[in-house]
Amino acid sequence: MTDAVVRFDAVTKRFSGHTAVQQLSLTIPRGGIFGLLGPNGAGKSTSIRMLMSIILPDEGTVEVFGARASREIGDRIGFLPEERGLYKKMGVMEHLIFFGETKGLSRHDARTRSLAWLERLGLSDWAKRKVEDLSKGMQQKVQFIGTLLHEPELVVLDEPFSGLDPVNSQVMRDTVVDLARQGRTVLFSTHIMEQAERMCDRIAIIARGEKVVDGRLADVKREFGGQSIVVGFSSGAEHARRVLADRALVATVEDYGMSAELQLAASASPTALLQALLATGAELAKFEVVEPSLQSIFIAKVGVEAATAPAREVLHA
Amino acid sequence: MRKVLAVVRREIMSRVTTRAFLIGTFLGPVLMMGFWTLPILLSKRDTGPKRIAIVDASSGQLGVRLEAALGGARRGDGDDARAAYAITRIPAIDRAASVRDSLLPLTNGTSAAPAAYDGILVVTDSVLSTGNLSYLGTNVGSPTAMRELQRAATSAVQGERLEATGVSPAVVMQALAPVDLRTLKVSDGRLTAESGEASFLLAYVMSFVLYLALILYGVQIMSAVVEEKTSRIVEVLVSSMRPFELLMGKVIGVGMVGLLQIGIWAGTATLVGTNAGRIAQLMGASSSAAANLPIPTMSPALLTVFLAFFVLGFLFYSALYAAVGSMCNSTQETQQASTPVTLMIAGGLVTMFALLNEPNGALARTLSLVPPLAPFVTPVRYSLSPLPIGEVLLSVAAMVVGLMAVVWFAARIYRVGILSYGKKPTFGEVWRWVRAS
Repeated sequence: MTDAVVRFDAVTKRFSGHTAVQQLSLTIPRGGIFGLLGPNGAGKSTSIRMLMSIILPDEGTVEVFGARASREIGDRIGFLPEERGLYKKMGVMEHLIFFGETKGLSRHDARTRSLAWLERLGLSDWAKRKVEDLSKGMQQKVQFIGTLLHEPELVVLDEPFSGLDPVNSQVMRDTVVDLARQGRTVLFSTHIMEQAERMCDRIAIIARGEKVVDGRLADVKREFGGQSIVVGFSSGAEHARRVLADRALVATVEDYGMSAELQLAASASPTALLQALLATGAELAKFEVVEPSLQSIFIAKVGVEAATAPAREVLHA
Repeated sequence: MRKVLAVVRREIMSRVTTRAFLIGTFLGPVLMMGFWTLPILLSKRDTGPKRIAIVDASSGQLGVRLEAALGGARRGDGDDARAAYAITRIPAIDRAASVRDSLLPLTNGTSAAPAAYDGILVVTDSVLSTGNLSYLGTNVGSPTAMRELQRAATSAVQGERLEATGVSPAVVMQALAPVDLRTLKVSDGRLTAESGEASFLLAYVMSFVLYLALILYGVQIMSAVVEEKTSRIVEVLVSSMRPFELLMGKVIGVGMVGLLQIGIWAGTATLVGTNAGRIAQLMGASSSAAANLPIPTMSPALLTVFLAFFVLGFLFYSALYAAVGSMCNSTQETQQASTPVTLMIAGGLVTMFALLNEPNGALARTLSLVPPLAPFVTPVRYSLSPLPIGEVLLSVAAMVVGLMAVVWFAARIYRVGILSYGKKPTFGEVWRWVRAS
């Protein structure tokens, strides 16, 4: 545990009237991609803002690089906040140089690196344009570049893929994977489980300000167990509903209509479930015992109602 | 330090390249030129003598006397002097009204056929007793023209009254000739070419420029802070530098833009001032016409004092504006929240007016040591009568101490404010921000 880049120790943060983060303890080791997962309003951004010393915890401590988090170590961190902000009237290149300078780069280095990044993310033609002329997705990429110019050891990305089309999303994802491959530590938050599932080495799921589960993605899945089953129907799905609702066979279910992902009840076996389903007269297109998806783990751990945060918490997300 | 410089550079570049700055910087001098040259042009245009018909219904010499008085009146000085009036006297005893009415249509001219008369003066015997003289003219709306006419008519009527009582008008007029006070300013023990009028104007212009610059650029800083806050750029920036560095970079950057703009304005004003005669000639007016205009000149010492207090005052107020901006969540909110700061600046301007009569009184001396007011008070006092160097330095010292206190105070509010969203903080909360370590 000595090689922890970030450590939250029993951190609590309250805003007027409610607790945004409750007794959160987390350790993020050096290297790799760490996914901070949770629904909207779970406390992800609040945790990240405490990590960046934008707000201070009410209780507990946040350590970065082995010392108490402070703004002094800002030059070793690259930070992409959830709400993007750029100076709209500035030229793209000027803006990137400014970001580089505020991280201690010389103008020359900042320019060279910016050019390389713009090239890589396909924005070379836009270097001289004003930020306000760019689409939202392009602005997001510009800010992403600004986050990485000073080659930080720790990259903190708050919802980096929101609002991007699939192509740009893929470009960003490749870049993030590349960063981790270079030995940097990437911490990113998302509420989309599928994204995290494909990229993260480690995850932590938080809901309503509390940690639900964390660890290596593979470990989390293994601990959750292999009794996860995907069923596909070609017809007669409505007859099968009764079986899916049978708590003697099925613990939880995510019903997608013509398919469903479910967790077997502790006492049931896949064979028993298959027989029960066939007995209803439903035509099965698929019946597979699979690794549980993050989505199903999340639902099983915190329940469907936790996936949608109460409105008052969203305000302080 | 490099980070502060980056912010300074950004502030300067993003402001200097805007259209508003270019227009403001170059339109200012153009307006200033217009302000000074318009009177020259107008005095040149307005040279033709006014044609006046005197409808003379008086039994005595009043009509004749008026004709002589007005006919002898001159406009302009020296070589430029021209007759001010072209007079036609029409004897009209007992038929003043009908003659007057018959002349009225003649005051109506077109571009093809100019009017025969600009106005009609109706002279009756009652003028001597009542002092009421009727003038019917197309130019009665011009206070200057009417004042001139009244002056000429008054001397004629007075002369006629004196004559009637057997006193020689020439003797009385000579005795009553008014004294013309020529004011010249002494500065640094030397006589300057400046008139008292120019000296007052200079004090006024300096205060007003300071007032405008403080409010204009202060509000710019304030809205820039709010913009950074609402767009959350500030979250990225404070992860890169201390809020104090950001605040300093911003205030210094905007301050330098302000100095540049004021410098361009002051430079133009100096050029116009030193070349007033030449400019007047270019316009076709005589150089003596330019000499009559109150164009102030700034001595290098005064310029130094003014700039020093401009910089100190600027830092003082923009730190306050930045702190106010950091407490607000929208530009609309700042309008209300910045009122105390704006009132302080307005107070400085008002104080300046109050001190014009007694620039070296006890009150003026005391106010020179009050930081929010000193940027207005001290340069104005200096422009009216040079202060001992010790007194200027004392005022600067007071200003520096006040400035450090304000920056410390503003930085503590700013540090917390830029990262706080939601409800506007109460006084109690702001006080807690200031005290928090």
